[in-house]
Amino acid sequence: MEEGRELTFESPSFFKRLKGMLGVDFYRLFHTPLFYIFLCIAAIIPAMILGMVGAEGAEPLYDTAWEAIAVGTPLYTFEEMGQYANMNMVFIFGGIMVSIFIGHDYKSGYVKQLFTTHAKKQDYMISKTLSCAFAMACMCITYLLGVIVSGLLVGASFEVNAYSLICAILGKMVMSLGWASLYTFLNIIFRKYFGISIASSFFFGTGILIVGLGAVLQNSPILNIFLYGSSVYACLSSDILTVLVCLAVSAAWSFVYNLLGTLVLYKSDVY
Amino acid sequence: MNAIEIRNLSKSFRGMYAIDRLNMTVPVGAIYGFIGENGSGKSTTEKLICGHLVPDSGEIKLFGREFTDAGVRVRVGALIENAGCFPSSSVFDNLMMQAINLGLENPEAEIDRVLKIVRMQDSARKKFKSCSLGQKQRIGIAMALLGDPALLILDEPINGLDAEGMKMMREILVEITQKYSTTVLISSHILGELEKIATHYGIIRQGRMIQEISAQEMESRARVFVSVKTRDMKGAKKLLQEKFAVVKEEEETLRVYDVDEPETIVEYLLVNGHAVCEVRKNKIGLEEYYIELMSKKEAE
Repeated sequence: MEEGRELTFESPSFFKRLKGMLGVDFYRLFHTPLFYIFLCIAAIIPAMILGMVGAEGAEPLYDTAWEAIAVGTPLYTFEEMGQYANMNMVFIFGGIMVSIFIGHDYKSGYVKQLFTTHAKKQDYMISKTLSCAFAMACMCITYLLGVIVSGLLVGASFEVNAYSLICAILGKMVMSLGWASLYTFLNIIFRKYFGISIASSFFFGTGILIVGLGAVLQNSPILNIFLYGSSVYACLSSDILTVLVCLAVSAAWSFVYNLLGTLVLYKSDVY
Repeated sequence: MNAIEIRNLSKSFRGMYAIDRLNMTVPVGAIYGFIGENGSGKSTTEKLICGHLVPDSGEIKLFGREFTDAGVRVRVGALIENAGCFPSSSVFDNLMMQAINLGLENPEAEIDRVLKIVRMQDSARKKFKSCSLGQKQRIGIAMALLGDPALLILDEPINGLDAEGMKMMREILVEITQKYSTTVLISSHILGELEKIATHYGIIRQGRMIQEISAQEMESRARVFVSVKTRDMKGAKKLLQEKFAVVKEEEETLRVYDVDEPETIVEYLLVNGHAVCEVRKNKIGLEEYYIELMSKKEAE
């Protein structure tokens, strides 16, 4: 740095700003235990579910190990636990992870540094959404690994249509973006109340509202316009159209939640 | 050009004005001491400048640009209330995140540079939560210094520091302004410390700026007084009050205000049979100036 320098102010481009903010989030993600703990949790969930299959005297939840990933056909309401307990649970735990991730921004006061140097509030929303979507997508992968390992250990059947399975997994991974944007938005709304942030993320993550709506509308594909609906739609009878539907729904909700979150940040005090 | 220019800024919380039509001008290169009692609106003003709070009305310009301009905000460093670091991460990781956030090209070298400025180059690997209060404050300054800030906003950076810590902080701030021409806005309750470094002052009361003054101007306006110690303080006070307009007893000395020549006082006391133990010519400091100004405003 030179002494007696001239003052120049160069406005950073959107991409440069986003790169900076994303850099911070990914650095934090990889350099703190939170991300790795949730990857492990995602891997343990299927082990616990499939473990029940192998337990003596227990009623088997699934015919094949892949049913721990998704149901055979789209079921917006479920009759037994096996239809509910699948990869969608990643989104519930992912919500808790996002709440802790964003909550620590506020709890530590680090968010002040971000908002001091980033005048554009959309940078924060987009960066949190993308980094948390990445984290949840990674949780989907460790969940898959958990299914394979625990399925092998309990001797579960692995019979499946590989194309549909891949489409289902891709569909669910794509849904991470939409879920991450919802959780980011919720955490912006309840940024001063860490407990409520976690509770609201958990509440929405369970998809209870859509399950309730499904009970009224029955298994109507109209429910695919919601995050939980599309997440259920990515099932073991999926094809490329399913992935595209998931992509469209996820991107649309992500846009809406980012827009709303940005508006909230612009209109209200951030810290 | 001014580093900060605020016009008619207002901010309320639940209908109560924390900042009420505030005007403020901080020249480029100044160390601006921002003074006011608790709850007078210092931190709120600083948070408004940093974009943490949304103003109800008014205008904030930084270096002639709107404060929402991304180009100018990326050149603002701030330490408000606390360092804003992740407690379980190391000092280095915290600084690295901020360096990445600012898009610095050579973050390691820049971290090294700021750690040297705050005399913490040996503590980079230490966890933030293991640092002492003084160290945490210095890390906060290091964070704020990353990325060549043109404006540094420091909220009570010397609060809770011991004498040595305060001295170090003072040296750091002087170095920053002299070496890097950074404008510093600093709020503090410890006026004695502030007086040693500030070039300008802004005095805020109930959300309103009641006076902005340069250190030079204050120096020229400051009242002179002669402090005297005698064996019979009560008698001397009574005697001096007969001849001089303002005589006060403070800190075991008699202060005779608005007198330029101590000889006049000494002579007068001696002639009237009072032995003088100590005599000193002084000017009132920032603290007294502030208290006097506040008393005047209170009376209005």
